Amino acid sequence: MNRPDLAAATGCVRLTPVSRGCYGCRSMTQRIDATDGDLARVITAREPGSREHAETELYRRFAARVRLYGLRHLRDEESARDLVQQVMLLTIEKLRAGAIRDADQVGSFILGVSRTMAIDLKRRERRRDRLRETFAVEPPTAAPDDSTLDLDRLEHCLGRLAERERMIVLLTFYGERSARQIGDEMTMTEGNVRVTRHRAIGKLRACMSGAGAVP
Amino acid sequence: MTTRCDAPASDDDLLDYWTGAMPGTDADRMEEHFFSCGECAARLGAMVSLGTGLATLVRRGRVSGVVSRSLLNRLQRDGVHVRQFTVWPGETVPCAAFPGDDLLVVALHADFAGAETVNLSVTGPEDASFRYMGDVPIAGAEREILWATPGADVRRMPSARLRLTLTSGRPGAPVLGEYELDHTAVPGA
Repeated sequence: MNRPDLAAATGCVRLTPVSRGCYGCRSMTQRIDATDGDLARVITAREPGSREHAETELYRRFAARVRLYGLRHLRDEESARDLVQQVMLLTIEKLRAGAIRDADQVGSFILGVSRTMAIDLKRRERRRDRLRETFAVEPPTAAPDDSTLDLDRLEHCLGRLAERERMIVLLTFYGERSARQIGDEMTMTEGNVRVTRHRAIGKLRACMSGAGAVP
Repeated sequence: MTTRCDAPASDDDLLDYWTGAMPGTDADRMEEHFFSCGECAARLGAMVSLGTGLATLVRRGRVSGVVSRSLLNRLQRDGVHVRQFTVWPGETVPCAAFPGDDLLVVALHADFAGAETVNLSVTGPEDASFRYMGDVPIAGAEREILWATPGADVRRMPSARLRLTLTSGRPGAPVLGEYELDHTAVPGA
């Protein structure tokens, strides 16, 4: 059976990179014009050649989402990366084995696996904490970093916000405080905090993209 | 495949989700949405990236301006080396930044009765304007203003006297306090 026949038989679309990789670029930079369900079907159909592209693309689309989920629930970059590896590996294995019934629901499947595995990772982390307490071992503290962001530019942009805006942004992202908690601390209404925060983030975005100067 | 999102999440919702302010069932729905919507997932990713960058800057002491006491406490818990000077109206305080100081903080005390916001102006030699911070909220119960400057910036400054004037944000802007910082540049710092 040639490729178009196989695609027709399995209901798969042909995977065509919409932006070709360039010399020195990793294949991860190729974008494939297909739905998540299409990708899942190609992986399950084991179509030679296309399957690798589909797996790479599925990973590209979902690894970042699983990492965010992990950061939100585990609050630790290393654990979030572990979660990505475990979730994506299991997902691709299940797809290859044809064990995911509704390919169009692959996103829901990945979320479900993320939830289960995050609970497991949290449990293990709690065990590790208990061991640390018992043996008084300090955990290694690796502050999360973001190498993709121009920190010099961000510092410049942050410095140009109004005092109130800067305080709210820092309390949100560094202090991890909700709008209500910030309002209590700064004697502002929750609504005012939200409006000021929204405006401040907009200014930071514009300044970071160079599209607009922070007044 | 890039498709337009039918129901994009607002920035507020993304932030509430991220900071844990969103109730459980709504947070579950948000997760289901961003696992099926690449556009919102990318927006959340950008927001988190911005937040991570901001937190990195703060942890390195690269923050300048007024900060709250809770933020300062958090910084110290995170191991940022903070050198703090406390000053009352009419006082002159000697100050300097030493190697290893990530952040210098001046705690300005005054009688803030009736004031919800203040303005802080800093002038250098010959009354040259050094910095102006307007509409500064008086945060927390401590009733103090904490002015933070990165240690690296202070270490680059020559010896100089800085005059700080704190005025109320109320109409007429009465002066709440005047202070002086006698800064000495530390050789080799």
